[in-house]
Amino acid sequence: MADPRRSGRAGRSPPLAEAKLAAPLLRPELIRRPRLLHALDAGDGAALTLVAAPAGFGKTTVVRAWCESRDVPLAWVTLDVGDNDPVRLWTYIATAVDRIREGLGRGALHRLRSSGTTVDDAVEELVEGVRAFGKEVIVVLDELEAVTAPDCLASIDHAAERFPANARLVLIARSDPALRIARHRVGGTLVELRAEDLAFTTTETAELLAGRGDVHLEPSELELLRGRTEGWPAAVELAAIWLRGVDDMSQVVREFTGDHRFVADFLSQEVLGALDDDVRGFLLRVSVLGRFTPPLCDAVLGRTDSASMLGTLERSHLFVTRLGKGGWYRVHPLFAEFAAFELAAADPGAAPEIHRSAAEWLAAHDQPVEAVDHAASAADFDLVARLVVAYHLALIRTGHARTVLRWAEELPEAQLLVFPELAVAGATAALMTGGRTAERHRLLRLADRAHPDRKVPYVEAVAGMVRAAAIDGTAEEAVAAGLRAVEVAEAEADDVLVAALAALARAQYLAGDVEGARETALRAIEHPDSASRPPGHSFARATLAHVAVDRGRLVSARVHAEKAKALVGAVGSSRSWLGASASMALGAVLGAEGRLAEAERELVAAEHFYRDELASPHHAWLLLLLARVRVGRGRLGAAGDTLREARDALEELADGAVLGLLAAEVEAELERARREANGGRLVERPSEAELAVLRLLTTDLSMREIGGELFLSPNTVRTHTRALYRKLSVSSRADAVARAEALDLLDGVESSG
Amino acid sequence: MASREYRLVVEGELSDRVQSAFEGMSLTREQGNTVLCGPVRDQAELQGLLRRVSDLGLTLLSAIALDEPSTS
Repeated sequence: MADPRRSGRAGRSPPLAEAKLAAPLLRPELIRRPRLLHALDAGDGAALTLVAAPAGFGKTTVVRAWCESRDVPLAWVTLDVGDNDPVRLWTYIATAVDRIREGLGRGALHRLRSSGTTVDDAVEELVEGVRAFGKEVIVVLDELEAVTAPDCLASIDHAAERFPANARLVLIARSDPALRIARHRVGGTLVELRAEDLAFTTTETAELLAGRGDVHLEPSELELLRGRTEGWPAAVELAAIWLRGVDDMSQVVREFTGDHRFVADFLSQEVLGALDDDVRGFLLRVSVLGRFTPPLCDAVLGRTDSASMLGTLERSHLFVTRLGKGGWYRVHPLFAEFAAFELAAADPGAAPEIHRSAAEWLAAHDQPVEAVDHAASAADFDLVARLVVAYHLALIRTGHARTVLRWAEELPEAQLLVFPELAVAGATAALMTGGRTAERHRLLRLADRAHPDRKVPYVEAVAGMVRAAAIDGTAEEAVAAGLRAVEVAEAEADDVLVAALAALARAQYLAGDVEGARETALRAIEHPDSASRPPGHSFARATLAHVAVDRGRLVSARVHAEKAKALVGAVGSSRSWLGASASMALGAVLGAEGRLAEAERELVAAEHFYRDELASPHHAWLLLLLARVRVGRGRLGAAGDTLREARDALEELADGAVLGLLAAEVEAELERARREANGGRLVERPSEAELAVLRLLTTDLSMREIGGELFLSPNTVRTHTRALYRKLSVSSRADAVARAEALDLLDGVESSG
Repeated sequence: MASREYRLVVEGELSDRVQSAFEGMSLTREQGNTVLCGPVRDQAELQGLLRRVSDLGLTLLSAIALDEPSTS
């Protein structure tokens, strides 16, 4: 396999799996289930539609048929475990919506790629796009049971709250998702279809048997069969295929109802046993693949006729469905489960071999995520390792760190010791996603314990890079780790040199070596490869911005900070280590420029990222910058709280020498501001109307906007403000706010955030 | 690691070929139901087991822990 780390593939997003965006095609001979379509129709105006039932209840088919009957634009996404990454999840959803009409999802997609915004912002943007579209739209999220990450579920909750009246959000899942369903149920804004609704009635059973297998049973036999299958659609479909091939239907139906075998188990054996060998062999093998295209089948099974075989299976209702346009097929997951048992009995080595060759094919066709998942299913950890090593940098550089982390978490520790590249890839991903300090430590320790033969220079360089960037111990230790990483990378692992230099520069800065930091960071951004290494480049730019602020070079500081932010966009995710680092740099620059409201906003955005992390020097530093900006804005109460938080974080750290000095400076600034604020007397207590204006002076609102809020003319606001300044003995808005805080005039006013 | 013996009962008699879906569990058929018995390492493994039950479209009738946690 070509090594994509060296082939310039790095930096390109992996293609969206078309199969995930394709709604399954409906077959014309499908039985009509008007009672279910009416139940769904009745939900017009409902915020949320939930179709929850176990496997094989025909959930997807019913929703698809309903969408068809409405004949309105449809955005369909089939989810999988990889969608436990909010950026990936909403990239798929926004892409599906954008295909309704080009441009509808563009704003959301843009936000998902750019820094300084959250996934919720992207959701809002998408909701607004759909609202503006105005016409009826259906958005379906199928196989939602695969999504379990709390932040992903929270974003779906958020969307459900905000969905406009012209759009229906339909969730299909095997189990009830951990969303605020109960609230919608109580509020009457939920439409639900559950197993008891989806089960076939006797009439539907008869209709399906007649249409599918030209099977006609006596009413009593029909009732027996329905009772035996409990109307479970998957079992009834299997029964239809089974019965059309037997001689004496009445006889077998009576025998069938007399025994206790599990229906799907029994019927799938019967159905598969009746197929001819070639068709059965093909069906059993494609069932392993889940979703596939004819060329993938041809390659994996060594055939040339997969397309026509799939057509035959589809026409015979053998649980193969075509997924929209694009040539993707899938085998019904429940049927695939039982087919797998049959295959394991007939040919025990077949399934792993199929997974393995599918992994190779998908990797060669630029679908690394799916390739790794197949390799893991084959339990072929050598192949997993080879693929992850080949693709993880490309994936991390394009914002898919969480996917890389999932692989590292799922692999047995023994494998990570044999392939420490995976451990350090996971550690890098843990650093980038945030909130995973313990996991990062575990993975780095595993990399350390790897067999010496396996500890290739690449592993050492990446481990040193992560340690230098994260600064878990003292800043000096981080510098030592960074120097070693740079040395190894220069000699033998050029791929990670830009990142290693960027990490070293940050460690040097926090160790107090500002000039060293500047030189190292410049080497990072001047490296010929730095354009295709957005993470390292962005991190180095952020450090340069801080250095320039310290030296009073605000123009160059702004250039560096803005470049740092722009590069984060290329990595795909704003809510990441890099996004936080870039926002923090820009916040520092804005603070130095005196644009304090904007600075505070930027720093607060960055601070969200560190909330879930253990105490780190980066977080303590950020809090100190935020406290300083709040002092500048006269928000002395909030500044005091923030400073205290920074002090608490510093106490937990192994070493905070440089930050200790900064903390002392900010403390002094806060003290001075407090003294000045207390120095003034209250000449006269402001009136209630003036106090109302005063409260709004603490916000970012302009004078005109304050007038709007209070229903006052700008002139009146100006009069009140002048009176306030006189009574507080101040001459500026910031001083007025500071003095008001010191004098406790802002009771009941939100003083932070 | 503390592992416990669990006993799961699902509706319908499963064939032996399905055994491979529940590695490490014994599978016996009792009066129209299937009993799965075996050691379960932790809650995560138990959740995985329940997911297998749901993947196969089985109806879970009961799931109980049989003994106190042991360190094995």
